[in-house]
Order: sequence, then structure tokens, then C-alpha cells
Amino acid sequence: MSPKSLADRLPVLSLAIRNLSRSKTRSALAAIGIAIGVIAIVSLGMFGSAFQRSQMQNIGTIGNNVGVFPGEDLDRANFTERQLREIRRAAQPADLIAIKQDVREMRSRDGTTDQTVYGIADPDRLFDVRQGAIPDNWRSGIIVGDQLATIEGIETGDALNLDGQTYRVAAVLEDAGQATLVNPNNAVILPPSRFAEDTYTQVIVLSDTTAEATRTAERIRTAMNDRRERVQVFEFSQLAQQINQLFLQLNLFLIGIGAVSLVVAGTSILNVMLMSTVERRGEIGVLRAVGFKRFAVLRIFLTEAAMLGLIGGSAGVVVSVLIGTGIHSLFLGDPFAFDTLSVIYVVGGFSFGIGSGLISGAYPAWKASRLDPVEALRE
Amino acid sequence: MLIETRNVWRRYTLGGEIVTALADVSFGVKPGEFVAVVGPSGSGKSTLLNLIGLLDTPDEGTVLVDDVAAETLSDGQRTELRRDTIGFIFQDFYLIPTLTARENVALPQLFTESATERNERAVALLSQFGLGDRTEHTPSELSGGQQQRVAIARSLINDPAVVLADEPTGNLDQNTGKTILGEFERITDDGTSVVAVTHDRLVTDFADRVVELVDGRVGDSTKATQHVS
Ligand SMILES: Nc1ncnc2c1ncn2[C@@H]1O[C@H](COP(=O)(O)OP(=O)(O)OP(=O)(O)O)[C@@H](O)[C@H]1O
Ligand SMILES: [Mg+2]
Repeated sequence: MSPKSLADRLPVLSLAIRNLSRSKTRSALAAIGIAIGVIAIVSLGMFGSAFQRSQMQNIGTIGNNVGVFPGEDLDRANFTERQLREIRRAAQPADLIAIKQDVREMRSRDGTTDQTVYGIADPDRLFDVRQGAIPDNWRSGIIVGDQLATIEGIETGDALNLDGQTYRVAAVLEDAGQATLVNPNNAVILPPSRFAEDTYTQVIVLSDTTAEATRTAERIRTAMNDRRERVQVFEFSQLAQQINQLFLQLNLFLIGIGAVSLVVAGTSILNVMLMSTVERRGEIGVLRAVGFKRFAVLRIFLTEAAMLGLIGGSAGVVVSVLIGTGIHSLFLGDPFAFDTLSVIYVVGGFSFGIGSGLISGAYPAWKASRLDPVEALRE
Repeated sequence: MLIETRNVWRRYTLGGEIVTALADVSFGVKPGEFVAVVGPSGSGKSTLLNLIGLLDTPDEGTVLVDDVAAETLSDGQRTELRRDTIGFIFQDFYLIPTLTARENVALPQLFTESATERNERAVALLSQFGLGDRTEHTPSELSGGQQQRVAIARSLINDPAVVLADEPTGNLDQNTGKTILGEFERITDDGTSVVAVTHDRLVTDFADRVVELVDGRVGDSTKATQHVS
């Protein structure tokens, strides 16, 4: 005896494969239908999430931050050290960054301009650097925002004159986008020690999650404000949640479109399998006559439908991953930026492919198994 | 009696009209017997074969296989009994086109025997019918006579008590038909019964007994008065 073949080990599977290869074009078309459905679900899903991630890179972690500003009823224009300590206590355990702000005269070749200047102790916690580095123990040197640096042609190492004092540029920041509490793009950042007064125009409270930010904001409000509004608290958590919600709906919509195409594909399998049961009536009759039970016939036809789903689904996954690399390099600059969600889309799309094969194969298979053998064998 | 029908009636409704395919038919087959069933077209021959082959159940009367009344069995049980006691041969051979001769013969044992066992047995049967060198051919690569011999081998793989054949020589030339009938004789020599529905004089010549059906009723059933049209 020859070594065991597929037909010997998995007879039903082998029967199914041979039946499908009997009408290759038809089977291929049905599988392509499933593949298209899977591709639609997976790549639209990945498109949606890549788009969201690219937008989130712009929006950043703003939802996790809370901005605290002097309120209408505060006794002075800026926060004092004492008030800062109060806010710090209320915000605990969340960390905060206190910001000084000022306007100074910047002198350059083209004359003098008024320049916004921030005093921030550890700016690397808020901003990314594109050139140079923020010194660890920051006492001298300044940091220049992206836009200002570009317009004025400022680079690290350059000297900058502010209110008659000369500073050396230690770092230039990356574009921080628009959605920040403190926008450094058009500003200069100095060490806080370079400010005459220890008063603060705003405080940024950093949290790890949006939910935590909401709770922190609430704590600060109750601690600082009674009837008088001593502080104004800005939180973006609600906005961030709304944006997230929006993206979720966009994704669902895109996946919905994909799902519709999969349903269409399922119909084509239904059609192929129904045709097959009609064409193979006599064969079904023979199977029943030689002692195949209804369930065995059901199994054979279901296996065929599942194979169509499997072949289509696999092809769909391969193409989807290729499309995914394209989407990712387009939106995120990294073709292999597959995250958990995109893996879920791939696995989900694949299972939907097989599932729609099985579901649309179920009725024809059931019909085949219920066929009366006597009827089936009559010419 | 191995297989028996007692006062069996089978009716069909066709366009509001009741067609009586079998009327009060009592019929039996003994082990090793070769029975030919003859009769004009529409006389109920195939209907009778379907009943004793456990593919169909009577409206009245009873079908006994090894003293078990077929009507009392579920579809699944009937299928199992059919698989274990009955072999079918059809006029159009009805081989599965995607399977090789060996796989077609082994098909009835697909779920009951190991691959080695059913393959060995299929090859042995095919050799027995002179097809030892055709086991890996598909039906389309075989002649009509060869296909019918594959079908006979398939009908025997489960060691059935009775082989039921509906017009087994209908699509074959006379010489090939003769070879097939020779095979039937060999089968009955081994103790397996054969019931063959036929229009073919040749078949009745080979049979031990001829049963004639006319309008769903059993007519004369002695070989001496066989129906000659
Ligand atoms: N499923 C059915 N529905 C309606 N009438 C049927 C059905 N099956 C058989 N009949 C009728 O029952 C009668 C007997 O049919 P059967 O097929 O047993 O005849 P037969 O003797 O095998 O004929 P033939 O020699 O042409 O094959 C016929 O009148 C036929 O029309
Ligand atoms: Mg007939």
C-alpha cells in the first residue's frame, strides 16, 4: 500500500476539494467574492484605525492634560507660589508643570519684535525636540519653537538677544500642532530662573488617562473654588472622548461597508452551492444509497462551503496585509505599524470569511442532506 | 426469507391523481438466489427495488429485511441497515466522477473502515472483476462495461446479503452485458442474492426465477412462463 494520502486521512476534505476543483471557475469566483469581502472589512478597518492614529498623533495626549488658569475672582493676575502649592495638593497624585509667561523684545537683523516667552522648568515633558537637546540641569540657554526658528532661520548654537540679554539656543522644538494647552511653535522657552517674579500664568496637570484627568480636574475645582471662581479649569477629556467616539463611528461605518460586501459574497457561495446540489442530485442519491447518512451528506457540502470561505479568506488576508502596509506607510510613515486593532481586523475578517462561507453553505447543505434518495436517483 | 415484502402498497399522487405503483405485492428473495424482475415500463419495478432496498417505505404492508420491519426504523437506522445488507447497481453506473475506481469502490466504507482496510478490499474486488490495472483511473477513463464492473465491485464492498440492480445491462452491448451477468452468477455462487430489474432477455435467461409485474401487481413467477415480448 502506498503511504497515506490526503484522501485516506481526511476523506471528507478531499472529497470537498475535488468537488470544488470540478468547476474551477465557479469555485474561484465564489472564493474571490469572499476575498473581496474580507479585503473590504480588513483594509477599511485598518484604514480607519490608521487614520485615527495619525490624527491622534496630532491631537496628542491633550485629553490627558488639564489646564488651570487664574479665575475671575483670584486676587491677582497670576498664581503665586502659595497658590501653586494649593493646586499641587489638590491635584495629587497627578503631577503638574507650572508655566511663567512674559513678553520680551527680541532684537534681530530686521529690527525688534515682541516675543512671547515661557518659563518652564522641564519642557521635555511637554514638547519634543527636533534639533539639539534640552540640558538636564537647565539654567542657561534657550529653546526656540518650530515656527519661530523656521521664520527667523534660528539654529542651535545661535545667539539670541532678548531685552538686551544674549542667550545661546540649546534646542529647537518639533511642530507641536495646534491642540496644546501651551503652544510653543511661535515662542521662546527660558529657564524659570530667568524670570524676575515667581508667579505663574497657568498650570498644566499631567495624567496618564483621560478618565484620571477628569477626576483631577474635579478635585482641583472643589478644592480651589467656592462661590468665588479663583481658578479656571480647562479639561479636554470630554472633547477627547467625543473625538474618540467619532472615530469609533467612522470605523464602524467603514467596517459596515465591508460587511455588506461580505454578505454579497456569501450570496454567491449560496448560489454556487445550490447549483451544485441540483447538478449533483444523482450523486447525492448514490451516497445515500450506499449508506451515507444525512449528516454525512451535510458534512460534505458544508466542508465545500467552508473551503470556499477558507480559500477566499486566506487570499483576502494576504491582500489585506499588503494593503495595510500601504495604508500604514501613508498615514503613519511605517509600513509595519500594525497594532493590536489591525491584528483583530485581520483575524476578524478571516473568521467572517469562513463564517459567511459556512452560513451561506448551511442551507444548500441542509437541502442536499434532506433530498429523498429515491427522488434523487430518478432521472 | 432474506428480504420479503408482504402485501405492500405504494401510491403516488401526481397532479391530484393517485397512481398506484405497487398493489398488494408479496415478494421474497432467498439467499444466493438470482431473481429477475420484468414488466412493462411503469409497472412498478423500480418502486419495488427501492422498497426492498430500504430507500423508500410502503404506504401499506411491510418490508422485512432479516425479519426486521423497515417501516419501524428511523431514517438513520434504515441507512445503516442498507449500508450493511444491500448493494446497489444502477443503469447509469452512477460512479462519482471525481473519484478513482478504487475510491468509488471504497466509498460505502468511507466512515466505517480504516483507509488501509477499505483500499485493500477495493483493490481486491477490482482485481476480481478484471480491473486490477485500472484502480487509479477515473470513471471517464473507463469503458461502459468497465464502469459497470466498478459499480458491481462497489455494491459488494460491504459484503451485502443482496445486490439490487436496476437495468444493469441497459447501457451495455450484448457481449459486455453477458460478462456482467457472468459476474452476477459468481456473486450468487458466493451466497449473495441478486435482484435485477430488466427488459433484457439475456438477464432472464441467467436468472433462477423471473417475477413479472403488471400494473403494480405480481403476475406469473415461474421461469417457464417468463414474459417474452
Ligand atoms: N415519485 C413519483 N411520483 C409520481 N409518480 C411516480 C413516482 N415514482 C414512480 N411513479 C409512478 O409509479 C409507477 C411505477 O413507476 P416505476 O418507476 O416503479 O416503474 P418501472 O417499472 O420502473 O418503469 P421503467 O421500466 O420505465 O423504469 C409509474 O406509473 C410512475 O409514473
Ligand atoms: Mg424503472
